[in-house]
Amino acid sequence: MQIIVDNLAVKYELIGKGKTVVMLHGWGDNHTTFNLLAAYLSSQYQLLALDLPGFGSSQPPKSPWNLDNYANLIAAVISKLNLKPYAFIGHSNGGALVIRGLSLGNLKADRLVLIASAGIRNSQPTKRLLTKTIAKAGKATTFWLPREVRQHLRTKLYGTIGSDLLVVPELAATFKLTVSQDVQADAGQLTLPTLIINADHDPAIPLSDGLRFHNLISGSRFEVLNSTTHFIHQEQAEIVAKLILGFL
Amino acid sequence: MSKLTVAVIFGSRSTEHDISIVTAISSVIKPLILSAKYNVVPVYIDKQGRWYTHPKLADIALYSSGQVEAFITKLRPLALRMGGQLELISGSGPKPKKIIKVDVAFPATHGTHGEDGELMGLLEMANVPYVGCPLPAAAIAMDKALAKTLAIAEGILTSKYVWFYARDFRSDQAAILERIKDLNYPLFVKPVHLGSSIAISKVSTPKELVQAIEVAAHYDDKVLVEEAVNNLVEVTVPIIGNETPRAALVEQPLLNSSNFFDFETKYMSGGKKGKTSASGAQGYSKLPADLPPKILQLAEATAIKVYKTLGCAGIARVDLLIDTKTKMVYFNEVNPLPGSLYAHNWRQAGVSNVQLVEELVDLALLRAKANEQLTTAFSSNYLKQY
Repeated sequence: MQIIVDNLAVKYELIGKGKTVVMLHGWGDNHTTFNLLAAYLSSQYQLLALDLPGFGSSQPPKSPWNLDNYANLIAAVISKLNLKPYAFIGHSNGGALVIRGLSLGNLKADRLVLIASAGIRNSQPTKRLLTKTIAKAGKATTFWLPREVRQHLRTKLYGTIGSDLLVVPELAATFKLTVSQDVQADAGQLTLPTLIINADHDPAIPLSDGLRFHNLISGSRFEVLNSTTHFIHQEQAEIVAKLILGFL
Repeated sequence: MSKLTVAVIFGSRSTEHDISIVTAISSVIKPLILSAKYNVVPVYIDKQGRWYTHPKLADIALYSSGQVEAFITKLRPLALRMGGQLELISGSGPKPKKIIKVDVAFPATHGTHGEDGELMGLLEMANVPYVGCPLPAAAIAMDKALAKTLAIAEGILTSKYVWFYARDFRSDQAAILERIKDLNYPLFVKPVHLGSSIAISKVSTPKELVQAIEVAAHYDDKVLVEEAVNNLVEVTVPIIGNETPRAALVEQPLLNSSNFFDFETKYMSGGKKGKTSASGAQGYSKLPADLPPKILQLAEATAIKVYKTLGCAGIARVDLLIDTKTKMVYFNEVNPLPGSLYAHNWRQAGVSNVQLVEELVDLALLRAKANEQLTTAFSSNYLKQY
């Protein structure tokens, strides 16, 4: 299904019966990232999974957005669908987004699940510096090439160094805005019961980020899954689902 | 005898741009080359509407690797010359211009700015034979409300429906909902001109209806709301021919009839890292449809009648809805250029992909020849009085 919110077409799926759980995907992903997880959860909960604007089948925002804009959009979708969320599940950037939304007060819920959540922006200073240096060097050495060729090389380069900047090239400005928003202060304000799940082999989000959120969110529970990477909810769906069902 | 030059035109400013590339390369260009009867010229229209030709544009790897945009920057966009025939004027860099005279155009575009009749209008004006439905049929087929209205006028059954302009819904929602209230739920809400299922919704309550209309009106200026058919089996019938069209097999796409957008069914399609699988009618259909012979015959006859009523020629695909209890067959919509020509169905019906494209080129030439017999201009003394 789609819904029109703020003049944007937003793709969503609503399945299952019970208390409402809203699932938010990460950067460059879409709602189907939760397919495996939803198969375990939908028998006990009503699940709302949506493609955030610019991803999957949802229309991109008309100007660069930050986490606050995305949080407002999610609140508007929930309101238009007349839902009252019991819990949010956020993966990667979806985690940062829900932390910010809950802290702002425009998202409300009784429970929070963070899976490999992003939002701590100063934890990999070496990688950030390397990315910046390579990007600047690349720009200086390829300025004479045609625009399309330059764009192709940039996409390859950013992919090689593990940056999501050009995963969705038309959202590059939005990406810059969102990754510049650190949500540690927002996390420190949260008081709702929170389950934090991280992976031991996650190249995108270090384990220390999960631990940092655990220390910031009082009373939170921290789980580390072994032999898995950033997409824990796909690689170990059954284990993640059991943890979530036990927690909710 | 020199070979005919066939220009295969694809891409264009459409949400179905990428699907068109696959149709053109896999189902049109390759079999035309295999037949060895034609000079095949790929004509790619980019997303900005610029036309290009180059042999490399017939290579799918150019598109799947994402290299096409960089590649076409090296080419000069085509100029078209219409001096009683169609000529493509190409060139790159300092190289001299090359002029290609087109004997037959083979549109392989889907959706807007191509399948909807616009391209056919250009080809009509250029006076070049072209494959597929003529302008009026293509334009009517791409307007679901108009196609239904025409079908009903010719005694063809369709499900009950209401259509309206999006602006009228915005200005007087209550009046539009009043018109819809006689329809029985569940209802389908569709943008009238779009081919994609993205903006189509199945709704069961008045609240869902309003949301679904907002979605359809977001994409199109005209909206169609229609009753769902009970005990539904949806079938599609590929057809080729001019005056005496013939059908391939009645095909039954395996959709989940109880839930149009079924989340669990869609679990098969992956996210950023999720598993992916083949999809589309070709991967999930019963061929022929699992229906009694009498219903199959009725479906085929209905599809042919729709094809003729709309004035289709060359090729099209007619979608029908069947109530398996009442055995009623309802016309749903016409696709004037079926994706990949529905070659999988024709193959099963005994027509190879090469035979299919050869026959389509022949049909284009026959239609052009028949049109030549029509009087389009004559000498008169009308102007002498001025």
